[in-house]
Amino acid sequence: MTQPIDTSIYAAVTEAIRSEAKRILSEGQVSAIVGYAVARRKGSAQPIVISDAADVSKLIFTPACVNNLSVYLTKAKKEIPKNGKIGIVVKGCDLKALVGLMGESQLKREDLFLIGVPCAGVLGSVLQPDTELTSDTIASKCRECGERLPQGCDFVPSVTLPATPEQEQIYAAEIARLEALTPAERWAYWKEQFSKCIKCYACRQVCPFCFCEQCLCDRNKPQMVETTPRPAGNFAWHVIRAMHLAGRCAGCAECERVCPMDIPLNLLNRKMAKELKELYDYEAGFEVNDKGPLASYDDKDDQSFIK
Amino acid sequence: MHPEKQKHAFEPKIIAFVCTWCTYAGADLAGTSRMQYPSNVRVLKFPCTGRIDPVFILKAFQQGADGVLVSGCHPGDCHYIAGNFHARRRFAAFRKLLEFVGVDLNRLQFSWVSAAEGGKWVEVVTDLTEKVRAMGLMTEFKELALEEQWSGTIDTPELKEAYDQI
Repeated sequence: MTQPIDTSIYAAVTEAIRSEAKRILSEGQVSAIVGYAVARRKGSAQPIVISDAADVSKLIFTPACVNNLSVYLTKAKKEIPKNGKIGIVVKGCDLKALVGLMGESQLKREDLFLIGVPCAGVLGSVLQPDTELTSDTIASKCRECGERLPQGCDFVPSVTLPATPEQEQIYAAEIARLEALTPAERWAYWKEQFSKCIKCYACRQVCPFCFCEQCLCDRNKPQMVETTPRPAGNFAWHVIRAMHLAGRCAGCAECERVCPMDIPLNLLNRKMAKELKELYDYEAGFEVNDKGPLASYDDKDDQSFIK
Repeated sequence: MHPEKQKHAFEPKIIAFVCTWCTYAGADLAGTSRMQYPSNVRVLKFPCTGRIDPVFILKAFQQGADGVLVSGCHPGDCHYIAGNFHARRRFAAFRKLLEFVGVDLNRLQFSWVSAAEGGKWVEVVTDLTEKVRAMGLMTEFKELALEEQWSGTIDTPELKEAYDQI
């Protein structure tokens, strides 16, 4: 059943972002703000960097603001100290990614001015950006979102989040379905999914956590992962990608959104998040942890699988 | 003096990633003590289990291993103090991931074998070899490596028609 989702607060959020952006830019608190702006197609949005207080009217927040903007800060992180503080518009899921990056010493909190967005959800697909946000068109990650109000930001518009209807949890259901299958059936499922991969590496480029200057998959001495888009290389790439993100992924689901071949990449990330929650009681959150679950250890960790 | 070597129809390939300080020394002890264990195992020596990247395991399977053994020092005995503790967490996560993508975890064995446990090394290797022998050839990764890939279906009616018109 399709239920509408109340996004009436987004107008007030947009207003609040603009006035705050104007204030911090004109006061010189930040040198630039990364936010969302109207794109060419009706209803769509695109990332924008503004550095002039006159441009603040370009900033918006709508259900089409799907991007995780924190990726602009990791890949260009070397620029930040030179430019002074950077303001950034973050949803709850984006903030978790930023917090994770702070924990990995990729960003410093004092270099950032966080404009948090109370978020009722964004669209799952922006192929039709002008559609209304309903329980059908909402992104799968938003169905399972528990933190609609980002915490620890420098500024959060004071609006009351409307209650969101109870929604079907797609990832949880799909993981449960796959776990119930036999290994051979799961292999067949993933083989089919991974065989679609064209190795465009969009999932890597859009991921805020894939900030290695030289990716393991680009190395050829030794070549650990075949680079051609053939099944063996694809399989290795996606398994290694999921492994490298285990315990780090913030669940922004950008990998899945940008995948041109519609591979359910976030399913692997969610599965790993679920396992790490069970094993080490770790979840991506709003608190900066110096060490993630796979970078730390405990004497009493489970070792029932080790002979 | 040696017992008659049994002939098997299938000899699995087992790759063992071992740490140099404990398990490698343990395997060495098994050798110098003249203990018999299956020669199916190929030992690869690493400085520490913490050095063993999950990608090595994947690569081993892709290159034709039927079973993989990862073995190192007992918790608390690591030469580098905490390498095996980190490895323990990493492999706990990695085996969950492999299980999720459909790899049979019976082919992957982790163990702690100290430098004094030559007997345990023999036991671990024999158990894994026999288990993998019973399971047969690991075909999944080999089939994957042989397969060509097409990102979509290339024999759609539209394409066929276009082809015929040329």
